[in-house]
Amino acid sequence: MSLHDSSLKATPTAPTPGGLSVLSRLTDPRVYCALIALSLLVIIPAWSGSTFMVHVFVTICVFGALSTAWNILGGYAGQLSLGHTVFYGLGGYTAALLLTHFGLSPWIGMIAGAALAALVSLGIGYPCFRLRGPFFSLATIAFLEVVRLLSIHFNGVTGGSAGLVVPLQIGWPWMIFRDKINYLYIAFGLLVLSLAVSYAIRHSRLGYSLTAVRERDSAAQAAGININGVKLWAMAISAALTALVGTFHAMYMTFLEPATLFSLATAIEIAMFALIGGLGTVAGPLLGTVLVVPLAELARGWLGASANGLHGFVYGSVLVIITLTLPGGLVGTFGPFVVRLIDRLPGGGRTRADVVAPATKIITGTPGEVVLKAQNLVKRFGGLTATDNVSLTLKRGEILGVIGPNGAGKTTVFAQLSGFLTPNAGTIEILGPDGKWHQPSAPDAFARLGIGRTFQIVQPFGKLSVLENIMIGAFLRHRSVDDARAVALRVARLMGLDDVKDVEAGTLPIGGLKRLEVARTLATEPSILLLDEVMAGQSQSDTLKMVELIRAIRDTGVTVIAIEHNMQAIMSLSDRIVVIDSGKVIAEGKPDAVVRERRVIEAYLGEDFVDAQGL
Amino acid sequence: MDVLIQLVLNGILLGSMYAIISVGLTLIFGIVRVVNFAHGEFLMVGMYAAYLLAAKFGLHPYASAIPVVLLLFALGALVQRFLIQPLLSADEHIQIFATVGLSTALVNLALLLFGADLYSVPPSAAQGSVQVAGFTLVKGQIVMFVCALALVAGLHLFMQSTALGRAIRATAQNRNAALLMGVKVDKIYVIAFGMGAACVGLASALVMPLYPVTPTIGTYFVLTAFVVVVLGGMRSMYGAFFGAMIIGLVDSLSGYYIAPDLKEVVYFALFLLILIFKPTGLFGLGRGTE
Repeated sequence: MSLHDSSLKATPTAPTPGGLSVLSRLTDPRVYCALIALSLLVIIPAWSGSTFMVHVFVTICVFGALSTAWNILGGYAGQLSLGHTVFYGLGGYTAALLLTHFGLSPWIGMIAGAALAALVSLGIGYPCFRLRGPFFSLATIAFLEVVRLLSIHFNGVTGGSAGLVVPLQIGWPWMIFRDKINYLYIAFGLLVLSLAVSYAIRHSRLGYSLTAVRERDSAAQAAGININGVKLWAMAISAALTALVGTFHAMYMTFLEPATLFSLATAIEIAMFALIGGLGTVAGPLLGTVLVVPLAELARGWLGASANGLHGFVYGSVLVIITLTLPGGLVGTFGPFVVRLIDRLPGGGRTRADVVAPATKIITGTPGEVVLKAQNLVKRFGGLTATDNVSLTLKRGEILGVIGPNGAGKTTVFAQLSGFLTPNAGTIEILGPDGKWHQPSAPDAFARLGIGRTFQIVQPFGKLSVLENIMIGAFLRHRSVDDARAVALRVARLMGLDDVKDVEAGTLPIGGLKRLEVARTLATEPSILLLDEVMAGQSQSDTLKMVELIRAIRDTGVTVIAIEHNMQAIMSLSDRIVVIDSGKVIAEGKPDAVVRERRVIEAYLGEDFVDAQGL
Repeated sequence: MDVLIQLVLNGILLGSMYAIISVGLTLIFGIVRVVNFAHGEFLMVGMYAAYLLAAKFGLHPYASAIPVVLLLFALGALVQRFLIQPLLSADEHIQIFATVGLSTALVNLALLLFGADLYSVPPSAAQGSVQVAGFTLVKGQIVMFVCALALVAGLHLFMQSTALGRAIRATAQNRNAALLMGVKVDKIYVIAFGMGAACVGLASALVMPLYPVTPTIGTYFVLTAFVVVVLGGMRSMYGAFFGAMIIGLVDSLSGYYIAPDLKEVVYFALFLLILIFKPTGLFGLGRGTE
């Protein structure tokens, strides 16, 4: 029963006050340093009073906001869109056209543009998310080009290449001003909005899910994440924010033409600022913008038209140098160091108070009832029938061992039982928590129904810490970050991973990775646990611990099905054994009966051995 | 009917230009497994080189093909050695950014050096046309068609019957197995990237008599070349050749029957459809999105 006990023994450090008050948060140096640095973006140009400075800072805020919005898709979700100006242009044109034809305020147009952009982004994202890496980027470029060419072609609507001049009505309702500083306030507001959204996502379940999907989509699915769903969310949010900025920028420039609004070069710049600052970080995109934009704007200011192309050359070169020297970007490389420095300031160095983990889900149902029925599964790969008419039933609370020689098709059966492979024939039915039978179709749906699986070839989220890896699993049943963290801590202690919880998962040795694999799966609080060779690579004493642990898990009501080559362990552990050879079930029964069967010995050791032994 | 045949002929001849560029892109993607976003800028560099050779030394672009091909081979080899090679084991997005950065830097360097003006070589016979059975064919395009055929045939022979060609094919199929067999994979990559760039060098010498060069000319051609490569199944040289012919035809026919300014919309739409619904390419010759 160690599953429950360990959580109670863990003494929470310092009692937690309800919510932190705003005032106490402000005294955290991480918060006040960020606020001071941000406010400089308004204070410096306001204090200098020069129109050129105001223009430079408006540009910084605009590109900072665009890059921050882009980073939600490109950084968190790892989908490098190089056509993001589609949404920027949509925001600009929607507002400008609503203003020109209907006299609607650009503030309304802004909202309309954002909604339209979010909608279009779903249309682009849905088909394109199946493309990998550079092909997703190419597809987004293609969409951008199509939209740009169409907007030139339908010049009756957009004004075509000749462009469209925004009706000049001055004042806040029309977003056009004589005093340029007003533009800065709006741009800054948009920047703060983007940063706030980006920050909120980064520290939410969605943020963790996106990172998981970016790092390893199969493991993310096993943790119950709907990978297309979370990517579409990221895309829609990113597109809507981009469109808001697009509306503002169009009103700022008061002139719209397809070449500027749907510009590939701008789309690339937005992405490159994020990379320079640090992909997937909250502050990175803004930092990249702050460092690179003034450089280019000042060069343009000093050298004038003779420097045509200079800023692009600087951008491109900086980008190449960053990829070669600091692939993590500035924040990725220097961030931890700077944060340590900031924490030394007054009020710094706070530790997160522990939250008591919520109780684990109680598994209800009668022990011994059938919880999973697999009937006549057939899976073919080309000419090979990897699973040949396999039927299995699982009873609640039992431990079923699956054995068989290498290449027998054990893992293929597991992949079908967890939804990662769809059988060519046959059905899999699972008894859901609602007491009804379900036939889920996608791995994440299997996970939500309570199937937890580990991978034979470990699938850690290499760049996340051990604790974060486990949290990804815990998010399946717990929406709040604090709860997920508490559950993950409990599971880490249970699996003997608490002393390495802050280590980057990719650096663990194989034994640790195997335990992490089990930990992440346990954190999803499964009712049926599929373990694929979790004892391989474990030391003798760890194997014993693992056997104890699996028993303890079963005692909480979880049904376990395990593939194992460690015969001693699996024989002592299992209530029932299924033997698979060449894709077929060749024997089934109590462990001691199964090992004596002639066909089983034959499968492992060959006919000759059986004959020689005179069996 | 005559119009249709003329359009088909134009399409095939136009396609041969895309074929040369796309075969280069396919070599780089198929062997080094890097999508070279700077491929179009290689074309731009080659065209400026051909222009300079014509302007300073009065060399006909066809005669400058040899130095331009050598120059581009060297450029490609250097890019592979000093930019791509250090990033081979890096994340995919870093590789994308590296070639995108190179592309941005090269476009703007050209803008700094030459400005946004159009430069073209003195008119030559290549722009003239011949009448064959009542149809008009541009001489320069015929040259390109012949060169495209020769290039694919030459590469085929090279890949199939030389030791280096076999080593390249082995590397393309399985990098680690090739390493274990004693193939110097890093050297193969440098050569492959150089060859891919050299194809663009050939293309730029052949294109120069027909099109003026600007800093952004690469973007115009390379997006089309990407369409071709996806159509052809990404890894297959022959797929790229036929894909180029198809795009040439689409370009020529949709320009006439739909609208000249929408022909790109047509083939980008085609590109997206292929990418999404048949990622192995039209002929099933590759495994594109993997």
